[in-house]
Amino acid sequence: MKSAILLLALFATAHASPWADHFTFEKIPNPPGIDPQVGAMETMKDGRIAVAFHRGEVMIFDQASGSWSLFASGLQEPLGMLVEKDGSILVMQRAELTRLKDTDGDGSADEYQTVFDDFGMSGNYHEFAYGPAKDAEGNLFIVLGIASNGAPMAAEIRGGFSEIGLVDRAGMTVGGEWGKLKNKAGRMYARVPWRGWVLKISPDGSKMEPYASGFRSPNGIGFDAAGRLLITDNQGDWRPTSPLYDVKRGGFYGHPASLVWKKDWDGRMPLQVPVEELDAMQHPAAGFFPQGELANSPTWPVVIPKGALPEAMAGQTLIGEMNQPTLVRVLNDEVDGVFQTALVPMFFGSPLGLGNNRIAFGKDGSMYVGKTALSWAGDKGIARVKWDGKPFFSLDAMKALPGGFALKFSEPVDPATLAKIVVRSHTYKYHAAYGSPKVDEQEMQVKAAKLSADGKTLTLDLGGLRQGYLHLVDMTALKSAAGGPLLGDKAWYQVVKAPK
Amino acid sequence: MKHIIILSAAALMPLSAAPDGEQLFTTNCSACHMLDQMVVGPSLAEIRTLYNGKPDEFVKWCVAPVKKRENVIEMPAMVHVGEEGLRAVYTHIMKVSEGVKAQEQKKGDPYAASPIHTARPCVQRIFMPNAGPAAIAVALDYGTSLCWDAGSCRLRYAWTGGFIDGFPYWQGNGSSVAKLVGTVSYVEGKSPFAGAEEAKFHGYSVKGGLPVFRYSIGATMVTEGYSPVASGKGFVRSFTLTPAPKADLVLEFPSDGKATIASDKGRMVGSKLTIPAADASKFTITFSLK
Repeated sequence: MKSAILLLALFATAHASPWADHFTFEKIPNPPGIDPQVGAMETMKDGRIAVAFHRGEVMIFDQASGSWSLFASGLQEPLGMLVEKDGSILVMQRAELTRLKDTDGDGSADEYQTVFDDFGMSGNYHEFAYGPAKDAEGNLFIVLGIASNGAPMAAEIRGGFSEIGLVDRAGMTVGGEWGKLKNKAGRMYARVPWRGWVLKISPDGSKMEPYASGFRSPNGIGFDAAGRLLITDNQGDWRPTSPLYDVKRGGFYGHPASLVWKKDWDGRMPLQVPVEELDAMQHPAAGFFPQGELANSPTWPVVIPKGALPEAMAGQTLIGEMNQPTLVRVLNDEVDGVFQTALVPMFFGSPLGLGNNRIAFGKDGSMYVGKTALSWAGDKGIARVKWDGKPFFSLDAMKALPGGFALKFSEPVDPATLAKIVVRSHTYKYHAAYGSPKVDEQEMQVKAAKLSADGKTLTLDLGGLRQGYLHLVDMTALKSAAGGPLLGDKAWYQVVKAPK
Repeated sequence: MKHIIILSAAALMPLSAAPDGEQLFTTNCSACHMLDQMVVGPSLAEIRTLYNGKPDEFVKWCVAPVKKRENVIEMPAMVHVGEEGLRAVYTHIMKVSEGVKAQEQKKGDPYAASPIHTARPCVQRIFMPNAGPAAIAVALDYGTSLCWDAGSCRLRYAWTGGFIDGFPYWQGNGSSVAKLVGTVSYVEGKSPFAGAEEAKFHGYSVKGGLPVFRYSIGATMVTEGYSPVASGKGFVRSFTLTPAPKADLVLEFPSDGKATIASDKGRMVGSKLTIPAADASKFTITFSLK
């Protein structure tokens, strides 16, 4: 019996996640009595962590004492926050961007200032609001989710109503014949102003510029270290799989419902615009999270600070994920000025678990991962993940070459394991239907795999890359020269532009 | 150049393999269906009780699902997975759900005793019945609550006997409005101020848990604070207007007699309150409810 137990323990050790060799995973205590689903999270100047929860509480976690204090309450589905220099907290909630201010210094907000609320609400449950992300000039960027035909609009709406659509106002409204009309409304719809848009708001909230359109359910907006505005979106209609976008002024990002609010729009119903025309208009995704393999519902992008992870990762972007047990690390590349990325799982198979909605780095370098489920699969509460400070074998950079890829690793690679690398590529169908199967998936022959003199840079000759295709480099069997496993052993590189 | 193209074409080998039910399940189903508990859709254990031994019916459902359950969203069609793929998903579900018992669904709000939502006063933004989508629910005390609309910048109604049950809203991501606990005893069909249709909301401050709403009507900034009445049911509404009005101020309230309305300034005639310009920058009105 004893020996059986011993064997089980060994078995468990042998199969424990290699992430656990370098990271500790723990849950911090939840604030008592409240629903601990995390909608927004930021580190404050003094190092404490500000967290906004599902039912509208904003609470502050003090790591030193392990205790929570209440800063504000009563918000509606807060899904983004930004701590300001004076300690005020900007929070994006369903109806508005709000500044929470503690004017009497008692530790809790007494001012709930409306910074910006000049956008429509149809009362549909799926109209979530995300942001703000702040640029170098202090402008605030928010992005508004669109409505789902899982429900009609409320009897009273805020803002105007667009008549562009097969179903009229009465038909779109609760109490009508939604069951019969919903399939004509589009799977997702944007009949009130600026749904599906990124809005750029001046620092004082007084001016707004409709900045970019075409979003669906963009539960992640932030600037990367180089100042690119990154937005993630969720697989669904017009979203073959979840995309990562670098958002440019005036760009259209694929979901047509929002086009009804475009200046000088010709009045055509978005669903009647030919797919080829929409496809030609859309700004291509800089990265794709393959559904079911990497991420089903990617979340907020954050920049990895110095000290939290190995130095090569400082300045890289890290993104959360709700429905797969992982975070996602972004490796940036650029071909002829076109930004494109490889996405690499981080902590997949570790004890981190599901529901990873928001990420904040503590001053001590620990990583706080706020979890949510809402009504989907996920989790609650906050995990704290801490690196042991020791180097590990990781993929640190990936570059597209005319013939294939150059991959830079943190440690020399065991040449004997190179032959086990598998490369596949596929594309997707851009269409109104929900999601897309992989299209034209093919295994790509690795014609040559060459290591640099220091053993850290691997050049894969694939005989060329496929433009517009997502390339998976599967390195599951790759080992370091020292015999270590690769932490983050797959990379999905979206070749927006193939180098010549 | 031609040479390279030929090479790259040779490097591509089409993939074909039998569909992997587990992989397809993870990709297409796992966000909504868990093993032993209802999430967005039913658990695999429940699906097993519905479809075990009926793969054809399972495939038929997945290809053309319809709304079947109250308060549950309709499943999107899974045509793209293909029949062969759906059969593989079926096999996977039947395999992993064998012998698994579905957990009893917990009824009621697990956080009903939240110290924040049971405290009085309480301010909570949430979708409310008979209001615009930017509504704010306010519990003044254990007796009187009200709904203030940040979209139209006005009081919508007051009710007595309790506050809200927000669970239908919070549980369903906003697909249901909050339920009122108690009885609506006072309703305002419009703002008491003339010309307030284009009012703009600026936020609110909270003192002792009680809200003071701020909005502008044209060039006038209005604050409208709420507090409970000293005894019985009702609410006290304190206004400031900046700059001070230059003419007498006329406020119009419902004439249904649901509330006894008394102002510390001006004169109430019927349902109209007239406040002389000199007094109109700051006044307090008490609403006593039955």
